[in-house]
Amino acid sequence: MRYFFACICCINLLSCSLKEPLYHNQSYVFGTLVDISTYGETDAEGQNITATILREFQNLNNRLHAWKPSELNGINHQIAQGNSARTAPDIADMLKQSTQYSVQSGGLFNPAIGELIQTWGFQNDEFHALSVDAKKIAALVKTNPQMTDLVIKNNHITSKNRYVQLDLGGYAKGYALDVGMNMLKKQGVKNALINIGGNVIALGKHGEHPWRVGIQHPRKPNAIAALNLESGWAIGTSGDYQRYFMLDGKRYCHIIDPRTGMPAQGTQSVTVLIPPQANAGVLSDVASKPIFISEPNKKQDAIKRMNVKDVMIIQENGDILITPSMLKRIEWLEPDAKKHIQVLQSFS
Amino acid sequence: MLKNTFKSFNHFPKPLLGDWIIIVVSLLLIIWLFNSLWVHEDAAKLRIRLGNQVYGEYSLKQNKALTIQGKMGTTLIEIQQGKVRFKQSPCNNQYCVHQGWLHHAGQAAICLPNQISLELIGEKKQFDTLNY
Repeated sequence: MRYFFACICCINLLSCSLKEPLYHNQSYVFGTLVDISTYGETDAEGQNITATILREFQNLNNRLHAWKPSELNGINHQIAQGNSARTAPDIADMLKQSTQYSVQSGGLFNPAIGELIQTWGFQNDEFHALSVDAKKIAALVKTNPQMTDLVIKNNHITSKNRYVQLDLGGYAKGYALDVGMNMLKKQGVKNALINIGGNVIALGKHGEHPWRVGIQHPRKPNAIAALNLESGWAIGTSGDYQRYFMLDGKRYCHIIDPRTGMPAQGTQSVTVLIPPQANAGVLSDVASKPIFISEPNKKQDAIKRMNVKDVMIIQENGDILITPSMLKRIEWLEPDAKKHIQVLQSFS
Repeated sequence: MLKNTFKSFNHFPKPLLGDWIIIVVSLLLIIWLFNSLWVHEDAAKLRIRLGNQVYGEYSLKQNKALTIQGKMGTTLIEIQQGKVRFKQSPCNNQYCVHQGWLHHAGQAAICLPNQISLELIGEKKQFDTLNY
């Protein structure tokens, strides 16, 4: 009988010590929710590391802010006046890399159209429904601001076009994911998950299993699907459901087509999965934009241009276009979703 | 009285194989019942975060109205027997209010301007984080 009590005691002790070593920290940075989890660290270590990373994110946000006084904002002022601007080496590198992606995307990823984004009211923490003067938009499109107008030499920036106004809203969060990932590795963290406004990068595992990420349904308050995000992989979604306003029953989202100056139409969301590489975070942020903006019959070209394999597109009518490799990895949580799948066979 | 109890405990017959089987089986049964019934009951829990902090955790099995002071002002949250929603918010776009009722574990709603988030948590999380 004594064994019996010993048994009970053991079970009690076990269940007490079974709390998993998962630490979770979150904050509001980049105008959105940032959360970081670590697995296998003590709470004190987890707290220490995640707080350091969140501080660095805040620092990046302060330097790259597009509409509050910041280093990037200062560059914009100098460009508008036709002056050359001095900048920090890391920002010069970011701008060079953005230029490269802008060219690769055929100009659909264009961080030089800050003025258009501002005109639409999306350079703001909150947006109001506003009708924009079509003539003004046309005039702004005509000024043709391009990343290739920038000349970056020895950390000095000049622009051939005074209408270039930099807005790294489609780049900075991804860049921050890569920064966070490097900081985690440097600190010797083996397992962690960083989520910046929906863009996620994984390191290691959640115990025995890979980190698991849900993909938000663009029109419902729940996840449409989930997948395992293996170490080093990143996932990003561009959607019309987080930053948008409605006017006369029409949806105006924050993703602006640089060719027309109008919010991109016809797509609810584009999700991309990026395999492990030095700038996986950046790519998870950047690569979805050109696909989102492209017309339905050009979306496959955009996927090829951005050189991504795992893509899911949810169209305005609810159709789900998905590449075969993405389909293999995904587990549907929304029962209805399966009826709307169209596999993009040209990517098999 | 106490002495007698101890006495009878000492004279407790040594359990035989059958006793052990019964003990083990009933233990397993208890653990299984605990997992399937108790844990399930408890699954519908609400976690509210305000800024960087967990504001509180609440059972969904109740009717309750909460007023929370956020960054912009006062948010009203309503719990109603198994579901929860943002009832009123000082924010401009009212996305959080338009999200409507949340029912299932894994659902979440967030008000970025007022920095308040609602998360329904179950014992088994469907995923670690959400891509949106």
